[in-house]
Amino acid sequence: MHERLSFYVHRDSPLHRLNPLTKLTMVFAFILLSFGSPWYWTPHILIVLVILPLSFIGRVQREYLLTAARLIFPAAGFLFLMQSLFQPIGQTVWFRWWVLEVTHEAVAFAFVNAARIIVMVSSFTLLLLTTHPSELMSDLTRRGLPSQFAYVIISTLQIIPQMQAKAQTIIAAQRSRGLDTQSSFVKRVGALVPLVGPLVFGSLVEVEERAIAIEARGFTSSHAKTSLREIPDSRFDQILRGALIVSVLLAFVSRLWLS
Amino acid sequence: MNIIIRDLRFTYPTGLEALRGISLTIAPGEQVAIVGQNGAGKTTLVKHLNGLLQPTQGSVHIGDWDTRQHPVSKLAVRVGYVFQNPDEQLFSQNVGMEVAFGPKNLGYPAEKVDALVKDALALTELSEKTETNPYDLSSTWRKMVALASIISMDTDIVILDEPTTGQDAVNVRRIAHVIAALRERGKTVITITHDIDFCAENFERVIAMSQGQILLDGPANEVLGQEEILATTYVDPPQLTRLGLRLGLKETVRNQEEFLTAIRK
Repeated sequence: MHERLSFYVHRDSPLHRLNPLTKLTMVFAFILLSFGSPWYWTPHILIVLVILPLSFIGRVQREYLLTAARLIFPAAGFLFLMQSLFQPIGQTVWFRWWVLEVTHEAVAFAFVNAARIIVMVSSFTLLLLTTHPSELMSDLTRRGLPSQFAYVIISTLQIIPQMQAKAQTIIAAQRSRGLDTQSSFVKRVGALVPLVGPLVFGSLVEVEERAIAIEARGFTSSHAKTSLREIPDSRFDQILRGALIVSVLLAFVSRLWLS
Repeated sequence: MNIIIRDLRFTYPTGLEALRGISLTIAPGEQVAIVGQNGAGKTTLVKHLNGLLQPTQGSVHIGDWDTRQHPVSKLAVRVGYVFQNPDEQLFSQNVGMEVAFGPKNLGYPAEKVDALVKDALALTELSEKTETNPYDLSSTWRKMVALASIISMDTDIVILDEPTTGQDAVNVRRIAHVIAALRERGKTVITITHDIDFCAENFERVIAMSQGQILLDGPANEVLGQEEILATTYVDPPQLTRLGLRLGLKETVRNQEEFLTAIRK
């Protein structure tokens, strides 16, 4: 009931229809651009003119903005604050207070770094919101990623919500036996043993069962495997990937050129 | 201790309306089986009895307690709930400690805990396994440990969620024996089950649920005779009952004795 495989939001949008590899390339291109571009405002422009519109194109703007407001912006804001206050660079002092010295250079540095973090986390968020993990992994395995590696990623994504659900059931079962999980801190700490024991044991059993189940379907067989899902890789995808790689290369070349 | 449920409605956070207006009274000492298709709301309903879920609308009273006003750990004094999967609650090093966990939580003095544990272990035929680690036992016996760990809490109401799934005939009889013993002690037993023979043989009152509502509620013979209504919630009456219906017997029969008596008339 409260089980959820991933962040994936099932909708139909141009972004959902892109090939997973294209989206992955996009994520890394944005990150590399925001770190590698010689122009100071690159990450900021990326956020406002690319990532934000993309969230609308992908029809996940609500989920994205919620994540941004709850997680990405607070984290980036904290980073900005810390770096502005404690970064010991620059001469143009704006103000001093106690041992703290806030300089123009530190604030500028913090501002671009915070934006880079936002680009990084946002583009991954968009990828995860619009790409089903198993689709991403089957596309990558088809392109030569070892299936063991894909299994590790996929099973981790599956196990986390399953463990959450399991933990909820265990908590319910133990509370039904009179375990007090809601009052004092000491009682809560004491309540951990009856919760963690079944959780760890149950998860180990599950891992083994899962291993047997997939082995029964020939997981380690060395034969080439076909995939039930055909993941389209259009001409547009290929062009887009090419364009992204070129833009990253351009950014790095111009950076070297200018320095 | 009376259980009084008034116009209970419950909607999960996902928007799923699991219970749509349930009103129910269960008298002290009644043995009630709840049957119905998967997703009918059986588990959701019994989770309201010990406060694991709170009504979206309506109310649930256990004796004079409104479940909304007492935490689960308090309600555990009155309602014991045996979960379906024993592995989701067993954690102690040995069976004795596991069974003592509940009564200790309820704050009973050491002598009383000892007596309750001994009694629960005897009832579930676990006395010889007191020192065994629950995980060294077979899953059948782990299920009995889970059952014992609730019986030892000596609650007036005991809820069993599918006690017979995955159990062999011997263990089903053991569980039936435990339920009979609880009946003799005047405990209320409420069981969710898909095992219709088990239901027919051990329960006097049967409630059939479908889509968050009560379809049928009454004496077992009456409910199990409603073949067509039960079919709408994917419940088949026991074979003997169906055979009796097909033969046109006057009374609805549940077991061999009833069947033989009816056919000899």
